Amino acid sequence: MEKLEKLKQELKKINAEAASVKDLPVEKRAEFGRKINAKKQEVLAKLAEAEKALIDVAAEPIDVTAWSGTNEAMPEFYSTELGSKHPLMTELNRVVEIYQMMGFEVMESRQLDDEFHMFDSLNFAKEHPARDGYDTFRTEEGLIPPAHTSTMQHRALKKYKYKLEQGEPVAVVVPGRVYRNEDVDATHEHTFYQCEGIFVSENCTLGNMLGVLREFFERYYEQKLEIRTQPGYFPFTEPSVEFMIEKPKVLGGKKGDWLEMLGCGMIHPNVLKMAGIDPNKYHGFAWGGGIDRLVLLRYGLGDIRVFESGNLNFLREFN
Amino acid sequence: MRISLNWLKKFVDIKISDEGLVRLIGARLVEVEDVIDETHKYDKIYVVKVVEAEKIPDTHLTRCMIDCGEKELVQVMCGAPNVHEGMLAAWIAPGAVVPASVHEDAPFVIGTRKMLGKYDSHGMLAAADELDIGEDHEGIIEIDPEMAKPGDLLADVFGLNDKILDIENKSLTHRPDCFGMIGFAREVAGILGQRFEMDFSRDFGGCCRDGAPEPREDGREGRDPRKVPFKLLPDIKISDNTICPRLTAVVMEKHGEIKKKYLTYIDTVLAKSGMKPISPIVDATNYLMLLTGQPLHAYDYDKFVKVGKTDKPIIGVRLAKKNEKLTLLDDTDLVLNENDIIITSNDVPVGLAGAKGGKSTMIDENTKNILLEVATFSLFNLRKTQMAHGVFTEAITRYTKGQPPYQTLAVAEKCAEMLAEGFKVAGVADKYPKPEKPSVVKITTNEINGLLGTDYSTELITKTLENVGFQITSVSDRSEVTTEKEGASPVTTGRSDPCPKQIVIEILVPEWRTDIHIKEDIIEEVGRLLGYDNIKPVLPAHYTAERNKMFEMKRQIRDLMARYGASELLTYSFVSEQLLEKAGLDVKNSYRIVNSISPELQLVRQSIVPSLLDKSFMNQKLPVDKFAIYEMNTVYRKDLGLTDEKVPTEKVSLGFVVAERKNQETAYYKAKKYAAKLFEELNIVVEFVPLKSNKLAEAKPFEVKRSAEILVDGKYIGVVGEFKNSVRSAFKLAPYLAGFEVDMETLVTQMSHKKQINLKEQKPEDLTLTTDKSYAAALAEVQKKYPEAKIKPGTIYQAEGQKTRNITFHIEK
Repeated sequence: MEKLEKLKQELKKINAEAASVKDLPVEKRAEFGRKINAKKQEVLAKLAEAEKALIDVAAEPIDVTAWSGTNEAMPEFYSTELGSKHPLMTELNRVVEIYQMMGFEVMESRQLDDEFHMFDSLNFAKEHPARDGYDTFRTEEGLIPPAHTSTMQHRALKKYKYKLEQGEPVAVVVPGRVYRNEDVDATHEHTFYQCEGIFVSENCTLGNMLGVLREFFERYYEQKLEIRTQPGYFPFTEPSVEFMIEKPKVLGGKKGDWLEMLGCGMIHPNVLKMAGIDPNKYHGFAWGGGIDRLVLLRYGLGDIRVFESGNLNFLREFN
Repeated sequence: MRISLNWLKKFVDIKISDEGLVRLIGARLVEVEDVIDETHKYDKIYVVKVVEAEKIPDTHLTRCMIDCGEKELVQVMCGAPNVHEGMLAAWIAPGAVVPASVHEDAPFVIGTRKMLGKYDSHGMLAAADELDIGEDHEGIIEIDPEMAKPGDLLADVFGLNDKILDIENKSLTHRPDCFGMIGFAREVAGILGQRFEMDFSRDFGGCCRDGAPEPREDGREGRDPRKVPFKLLPDIKISDNTICPRLTAVVMEKHGEIKKKYLTYIDTVLAKSGMKPISPIVDATNYLMLLTGQPLHAYDYDKFVKVGKTDKPIIGVRLAKKNEKLTLLDDTDLVLNENDIIITSNDVPVGLAGAKGGKSTMIDENTKNILLEVATFSLFNLRKTQMAHGVFTEAITRYTKGQPPYQTLAVAEKCAEMLAEGFKVAGVADKYPKPEKPSVVKITTNEINGLLGTDYSTELITKTLENVGFQITSVSDRSEVTTEKEGASPVTTGRSDPCPKQIVIEILVPEWRTDIHIKEDIIEEVGRLLGYDNIKPVLPAHYTAERNKMFEMKRQIRDLMARYGASELLTYSFVSEQLLEKAGLDVKNSYRIVNSISPELQLVRQSIVPSLLDKSFMNQKLPVDKFAIYEMNTVYRKDLGLTDEKVPTEKVSLGFVVAERKNQETAYYKAKKYAAKLFEELNIVVEFVPLKSNKLAEAKPFEVKRSAEILVDGKYIGVVGEFKNSVRSAFKLAPYLAGFEVDMETLVTQMSHKKQINLKEQKPEDLTLTTDKSYAAALAEVQKKYPEAKIKPGTIYQAEGQKTRNITFHIEK
């Protein structure tokens, strides 16, 4: 309290001093103004701090070991109607559950990673332009909020390669949040969700990859589906493919409508090698696709920005 | 990149429909973003002969009678200065749309109108800009009488009834060869199962290889470029051949005028590919770049030599010195960086290599002699140059894909040929200090089929590869031979064939496929060219997966929270400095994003609750009167240090906030009730004890006097409480506000599914204690008295003016 008074006095003094600027010769005014302003800002900051402390001091203590306030009713939970689950998380769970049924482990993705996992371990040549395509954010230390869940591929391969020695495949899915330095509009978010898949075994083929992906989408949309591919390019797979499905009936698909679902390919031997897996003995495939779009499609939503808006009028629709 | 289907068809015999072709290109080569249909763009535009041309005095107009292939001549008024009797021109007939306006909202339809009050003008004679094949509006275009006759459709003569493919460049990042029509056409032939014969570096050029034929040292056809008899040999000085693997320079001396009179096929190709005809020299270089993918640059020879103060060109390639300056063609003054590659004349900078030419050596209307540079540069340096100086030309787009050096000489020669009417070759130099060795890949048929899951025969595989220029140098059956000795890897198909045949194919990779080095690259070619869609999808055998406890626990918490009326939020991982300050957190403890989109997203968040407080404000304003919101997500703080992998230690955190706009009671107890429910669900025994300090990041917004620490076995796992008044007012929230934040890693390790269910009927007794102690202390007393019983909290009453409170317990014996 006293401190606050003192600061207020000080501020008054500074203001008075500032008023005296008109008595100075013109050429000295600017310099004087700068100095006095710096002083004023400093006092104002202290004042704000002190005022904050003052209102915080006003807080009354309560008995935190109790279960209700004195002379207050016992608190109640809100009714179930007010509760909701985030549609992105519900979708992520749906996706992951199907892969779990198909024998895939789940490993969640990091949200702050390094150049090695994001690029080097995935066979991106140093300073290769392909790195630019990912529009990554960077921290002062050069860390990267990952632009794809493939940032976990190297870790997943290392963690589960013991299975190969047991004669079992490595089968992992990696759901997670990823980031791109992109301008946000109805169809672009700088923050979104992906799910990565990795499969390695002694004799798996590209045909197996198409088999797994078709199986997944047939389970997911609960109907038989035609699939189609396009050549793609990712430094970490060879061959690389873009995977499409016919637009499912539940989404109003008609004959000849196709949906691009994800990028995939046979894991590049260098990626296996770096994780300590012999590429002459084992083959693998990997894929990655977005979750946000699945939700937009499912509910016919037009704007991706609702997901991170925190708007309860939207979220409570997902009771 | 724009690909004209008609131009493509000049190189490949295409027998399927355009739709089928576009589908195949999409399925086996590259992403086609759009097909621009121009098949009706030039409807009703004819080649006509100007039979009479009468100047109207005191106007710029000429009255023309034109022969449009019909019996009657037609009258058209024309304002162009170059209209003259006997010429062939392009006539836009009445009722036709001006091609340059077809994509506008209201396309311009030509009609018949009266001019100068008395002359009927039917349709119009067109200039290049109106036809959308150039920028020239000065004069009308003239057509070569050897190419057409009056009455012909202009579109038929020049192949203008076209479809243009808009190609997604990103999907060809690794294919520099496909950025030229020849490379693109080769792939199209390949996916149609046809053999593509043309090889630009073998089939074209030659004009600079005059003199006695010398066999090339590399054994290929043609003459050795290094044995050139020209007198004027430019001197090429490359400081480091990794920044410039090859540079070919040709000096061309002017010996006549290139009279550009007629509209050419090349003009239309340039226009359809998104470039415009400019001048014969520039057009030749642009056309060759579109054809081969290899960019070229032409300098004014005399200016070049003058800048270098030499009598013979000394062409240098080196990295720029820091702060070196260069003025570009478009008058931009550039301060160069140390990784910019520059072209110099006797060490004076004259051009930004691969990006843009310099002002001082620019070609103009007075240019007599030309110096042509055809080179390749390090794509890494050019990429930095592109980003630093914001250059996005067709040339640098091609260079940053990594153009291979094999064809620079042939391209330079072809350019000299195209300009032969006006220039003759006076000197050639070709610096290629470290010629690239062609890659050789050995692979077995089984390795290909084993990775793809196919049954392709060796014959089909070799034919497919040969179609696009791979040379099969040998095919041998090595079933009997030990594979190790031969260096081939063992077969790993796992197919049922007990004794798979080992057919080894040895492949010589063509020079333009710089992306092919290993077996997998070949497998991709085979799979792609024959169509991945022809591969049968087969499920692999699968095994039982392990459980991921964290993932499952999150699922369980989601169910629980929804059941009890709480809503799950997801908020950004990045927050503003202001947000952290409002919540009382230390900004310096956050990792900072250096290239953030906005100040709102500059710092990596340290905890969840501040983001929820931010969203609480927005929701109270909507207004939503009461809500419980939570988020489970990952957070990072500098003080948590790094992991063994040298990446920041992460923390999975659950943040929760409850807020109401009109409640006068103590919000703390509601938040605590939710926290307690969570621990009960996970079967974790916790203690709530008064918060001693709020030093830890997640505890900082909380008011010590109105918050509790949550302990498991005496160990801190989080905090529950109300927020400091200063925090609450900074977020502009109503007084009824509380929350908690707990570490989820601990929850996972502590949780269990053990739960005791007691089916005995319960008759609780109430017991009220009058005390001045805390609830916890009172509870301890009751517990001492009923050690076996389950004790549940009841209400707490304090009469006015009293120091003591009446605390009620429900006792289940």
